[in-house]
Amino acid sequence: MLRFIFKRVLQAVPLLFIISVILFFLMMNMGDPIAAMAGRNITRSSDRQRLTRQLGLDKPIVVQYIFWLIGNDWTTVDQDGDGIGDTNGTRHGIIRGDFGTSLVNRGRPVTEVIAQRLPNTLILMVASEIVIIVGALAIGVYSALRQYSIVDNVITTISFVGYSMPIFFIALLSMYIFGVLFKRWGLPYLPTVGMFDPEIGKTLGQVLTHMILPVFSISLISFAAYSRYIRSTMLEVLSQDYIRTAKAKGLPKREIVFIHALKNASLPIVTVVGLDLPLLLGGAVVTERIFAWPGMGRLFLDHVSRADTPVVMGILMLIAVAVVTFQIITDIVYAWLDPRIRYE
Amino acid sequence: MFRKAVLFRWLSLIMIASMLLAACQAGAGGEKKVLTLIWTQEFDSLNPLYTNMWFSYVTHQVFLSWAWEFDQQNNAFPKMVTEIPSTENGGISEDGMTITMHLREDMKWSDGTPLTADDFVFTAEMAVNSANSVASTYPYDNIASITAPDPYTVVINFIDPFAPWLATLWHGVIPAHILRPVFEAEGTIDGAEWNLAPTVGFGPYVLDTWESGSFARFVRNENWWGEEPNIDEIFFRFVPDDASQVNALKAGDGDVGTFIAFSDVPTLQESGLSIVTEPSGYNEGLFFVINEEFGHPALLDVRVRQAIAMGIDRQSMTEDLLLGLTQVPASFWDSLPFYNNPPIENYPYDPAAAAALLDEAGWVDSNGDGVRDKDGVEFELTYGTTIREIRQNAQAVIQQQLAEIGIAVEILSYDADIFFSSYGDGPAASGEVDIMEWSDGPIFPDADVYYWLCSEIPSDDYPDGSNWFFLCDQELNDLIELQSTQVNSADRQQSISQINQIFHERVYWLGLWQDPDVWAVASRVQNAQFSGVTPLYNIVEWDLSE
Repeated sequence: MLRFIFKRVLQAVPLLFIISVILFFLMMNMGDPIAAMAGRNITRSSDRQRLTRQLGLDKPIVVQYIFWLIGNDWTTVDQDGDGIGDTNGTRHGIIRGDFGTSLVNRGRPVTEVIAQRLPNTLILMVASEIVIIVGALAIGVYSALRQYSIVDNVITTISFVGYSMPIFFIALLSMYIFGVLFKRWGLPYLPTVGMFDPEIGKTLGQVLTHMILPVFSISLISFAAYSRYIRSTMLEVLSQDYIRTAKAKGLPKREIVFIHALKNASLPIVTVVGLDLPLLLGGAVVTERIFAWPGMGRLFLDHVSRADTPVVMGILMLIAVAVVTFQIITDIVYAWLDPRIRYE
Repeated sequence: MFRKAVLFRWLSLIMIASMLLAACQAGAGGEKKVLTLIWTQEFDSLNPLYTNMWFSYVTHQVFLSWAWEFDQQNNAFPKMVTEIPSTENGGISEDGMTITMHLREDMKWSDGTPLTADDFVFTAEMAVNSANSVASTYPYDNIASITAPDPYTVVINFIDPFAPWLATLWHGVIPAHILRPVFEAEGTIDGAEWNLAPTVGFGPYVLDTWESGSFARFVRNENWWGEEPNIDEIFFRFVPDDASQVNALKAGDGDVGTFIAFSDVPTLQESGLSIVTEPSGYNEGLFFVINEEFGHPALLDVRVRQAIAMGIDRQSMTEDLLLGLTQVPASFWDSLPFYNNPPIENYPYDPAAAAALLDEAGWVDSNGDGVRDKDGVEFELTYGTTIREIRQNAQAVIQQQLAEIGIAVEILSYDADIFFSSYGDGPAASGEVDIMEWSDGPIFPDADVYYWLCSEIPSDDYPDGSNWFFLCDQELNDLIELQSTQVNSADRQQSISQINQIFHERVYWLGLWQDPDVWAVASRVQNAQFSGVTPLYNIVEWDLSE
């Protein structure tokens, strides 16, 4: 197993390199950070020239990528604009753990920018994922056991309605009903935006109450996909011979469903969840924006709109590493769930 | 059935419990007067040298101050100086090359350190030092030398007479006693902690916390040297979505919101919020590319541009799209009556006259395809702007109205950072679209403009030029250069009036609607007044009712 993991990690290195090249070149064509710094007016030509040079944006894309990858402390940079390198570079590159500094929040290290937001995203997304998995398992198993019953049809219909609705609509609607209208009607109401009320502070109660609407919005649209998937895999497993054998042996229904059927039905579900988990790090872009949740999704959106390449690359590479890592973990969980699988 | 009942009961209990929890939390605010402003964009930097962002520099009146600020009528009043320099009080030399400022002697940083002329000199030096990647070196790059003959006097010598000094100088001062050691140690202040956490300031409040993506909290400055503020704490809450901002204001999760869309005004008013509009010098308008190499050849003819001005029903557009809450600007200097003098009169909406002008210019529909043409060239224009919803609506209306006078328009929309990218990358700077739309204005409340200078036309050799209209009108160019050096206001008024007249007659720019700052203010906020330059200028007078 250790050999397998080591082999997979080694394979991941060139993969991550290729991903970084593609992302960097795409990102460099996404917009103009100097234009985004102008405020409400067009950037002055003298400022554009100076900032382009100072931020290293005057270099060819390949050179900018190399600096991002291995740093520029081995060469000099032109600080005063006379065309001659006069000062040693200070960047170490990501292979030496330096993700650079943000162009928007000038001087702030990318790792610090991301570290501030990552916990907030994990709080929101892990809570949402737990709600989604638990809810979808309950609905999926229930629907599979009572296929074509009235309840199954109702659940299916509601799932698809939820799945069909854009998340911004659900988010704004729930905010308006539970935040605005409930307050207007004199009922207990939920907060509309933010992670906590600044007047009160970041208490557990505050974070929990501010999480309700975002988690509800994320969960509602995800229930459908997960529950339908669980339903179909459960139906497939329930029609297998070994389940019939288990029934013939007179095993209790609960044991058949949860021990024999669900464990085997979990294999493809684990794949889906395994692929979804690393994406949680990226946050929920729309939900975080609407509910002003200070997470990674909003960070990504804020900085991509200002063409802040170092921060955006930091986020994307974090997700890429997480995807690769979780794929390895998924493979290991496979072996645990299905003893027939061996990684030798 | 029993299971369903249990499930329903649990769900109900969870929902009620969460709402009661929210209700309990909401009541735990305490006795402090706390004001919450909703900002739809988060600050990039709180160091005034490192930002051009409106949402950042507007906070300066909270934790910093400007040397002079501007009131509701956008008139300047002294803040850090004993009086605003003028030729009458000897603050400005006869040749306009030297400004002498006398500082208040009671100013202190929030850590108790006296604020002196040294801080001003240090600020100007840091702005132009090539080691610092400041947002803009302007206007400090116009200074030849700056000295502090005593702790409370600053003498500025300009390279040339510098007319826009009042509107552009000293938008905040940075603390020399904190940042000079950083500069000496690191050779730059780019990475200074103070830039993003200026816990030492000299405004009525001082930064307590800036939680990225969430909020910034300012508390009373115990060493504040001005009038005591009424409010204890100020929160800037970052809510990036416009619809969420409206909901948050309605729900009372914010007291003040800004950049309110005109379409949201009625619903906010119905919810009891006051709407305040304050001219900020900006007007939404059309910019024409007028050049033989770039742009459509028809736009070279002034009669064609006048026809376009008369072919668009701008009045109806403001009434229908903007609910009649703003006006059609006749001049680029519409919100500066001193310079829009004599006031320009708008072109009327007159499609018949527009068609006649186009006929006169030789643009007729010779092939019967519904689009005018001349010498085998079809009158088909490209019209680009950013993806902002109101702009896309305006594009659709203008496309339809110009079609009615035989002008075909292809509408194009871009993300702002792409649209405003530099020559070679951005469609606007590269002359790829014939008509461009955005909101802009002079360096308000100053009248200075520079975009139309001939020397600013971008090219392969000078890709950073800001004359994206590729227009070189020598008469206009000379007047723009002249006014920027005229420190005598009467002389300058005359020059700007001539520029204004040229803009109007030659239709170099066509205003669509005035674009004032629109604020929504909760009923519990008292004494709130806004300026178009320093919006929070009277923040110490703001109060909250019970």
